[in-house]
Amino acid sequence: MTDRALHDLVIRALADAPFRRSAEWRQRALADPERVERFARFLARHFYFERIVHFFKYSTALARLTGRRPDAVLGQPAFDALHPSLILGSQDSARAVAGLVVAHVRSGAPSPPIPYHDDLLHYEEAMMVVEAGPRVWRETGNPKGLPAGRGKRETRAAPQTVEGTELLDLAYDLPAVLPKLLQPFTTVPDAPVRPVRLIVARSRHGRVAVAKATDAIVSIMDLADGRKTLDDLARDAGLRPAELQATLQGLTELGAVRFSTGS
Amino acid sequence: MSALKIGAFYNPHLGRELAEARGIDHLAMADPPRADDPWWPKIKARYTLLLHDYLGQLSEPLDERSIQRARSLAELYRTPWVAEHFQCLHTEDGAYSLNYVFPPLYTEEFLARFVANANALKGRLDQPLVMENIPGFFDVRHSQMAEPLWLRRFFEATQVGFLLDVPHVWLEAHYRGLKPETWLAEFPLDRVIELHVAGVRNDPDLQGPWIAPAEPAEEMLEFAAHAVTRCPGARAVTFDAFSPSLTAEVLLRSVERIRAALA
Repeated sequence: MTDRALHDLVIRALADAPFRRSAEWRQRALADPERVERFARFLARHFYFERIVHFFKYSTALARLTGRRPDAVLGQPAFDALHPSLILGSQDSARAVAGLVVAHVRSGAPSPPIPYHDDLLHYEEAMMVVEAGPRVWRETGNPKGLPAGRGKRETRAAPQTVEGTELLDLAYDLPAVLPKLLQPFTTVPDAPVRPVRLIVARSRHGRVAVAKATDAIVSIMDLADGRKTLDDLARDAGLRPAELQATLQGLTELGAVRFSTGS
Repeated sequence: MSALKIGAFYNPHLGRELAEARGIDHLAMADPPRADDPWWPKIKARYTLLLHDYLGQLSEPLDERSIQRARSLAELYRTPWVAEHFQCLHTEDGAYSLNYVFPPLYTEEFLARFVANANALKGRLDQPLVMENIPGFFDVRHSQMAEPLWLRRFFEATQVGFLLDVPHVWLEAHYRGLKPETWLAEFPLDRVIELHVAGVRNDPDLQGPWIAPAEPAEEMLEFAAHAVTRCPGARAVTFDAFSPSLTAEVLLRSVERIRAALA
């Protein structure tokens, strides 16, 4: 085993609580287990603090009305209870921690009431969960995007919805109100009562992006399984080639779709 | 910068205070300026700016995207040098990341990796490269040499500058049960260009002191003053605090106290 591979084990041990308890790690006796555990807990609290502050920033802005700061969960026993199962960067752990935040913030009684509060928490939770997962830290080759060129080869490319991408159905048009929540306000800004469907996706480098989902987007998300070609998708979704191409371009840039190319 | 300059990190939430502050010679930039930061034009016009952005980990070569990012930020800031950390915090496959500075293994293999990749990065920059020491909370038994020796050999092989983080040395000495001055003397201080000074605070997870966005205690200031006397090539000392929780009062008083301690 190279030193680099060994160092990867140390990183994994610090990030992955179940791995820290495994025989595979413990038998190596690479470091004082007590010190490793303390540092791992420190790292976990730091890791989720940064994410809660970032993804729940709207709830933080509303904390003077709800009486609930999202990051307060990190000092509660419920978060400590999660430590034995936490894997930094995993979607399950992100979901568990975000769930604690949502429950904590929802337990407040905003005065005055915030009609779109549930939608907001749902949105923030989705952002934090979608952000989790392995990522590319450095490019080592040519990333696969939309297939280059035109003609037969292009139509044989097979788009695939990226795992972890989420569609959110909201009762309020949140994108219309979110920027206002980060500005000074005396009365809580209104959100239009207007159902919206949002797509939340993550790029290969971990950047989370949100866009309004059109019917074409929803169809492609359902159908893109990595096996259907562009011709198949156009036919099954009832889209014209230009509409399909434009939609796929947008979804690829968002990080919601990747291409695998057929032989 | 000919005489020893005293500065701080740019904290965007303190933009107004920093734009008007007196007694600060330079600002280190941990993040690129936000497009909507109203104070950035004044900050850029007024201060010498030091590039201290997160670039990557030199256990692997920086990819072209990171190098171009470093080059464009260096040009934007007109920085006298570019800082990077002795860190290795994500696994090679991108599956795990600590999201926090973490030192490499102090082995021949890692030394060869860091030397090769630092030399490659140095060749692509128009400014000198400086590298900052990162504290370990525990030793990994696979390490083949002590950190100071590993750093000395790195600097001999690359001829880059040393950004000496004084509290990092203090913390390592604390956790090793050594006098900070004794541990410091092992480091290649003749390579030091810049020093970082910060506060430490007890962390409940670590059950001991760790870096915090707080004022440096008298003991830390005395240690910093001692360190400066051992670094004949030092050109700048920076109060190393970058956090939304940092107040203008703490930042300004810390810079003032560092200046007084080094006078």
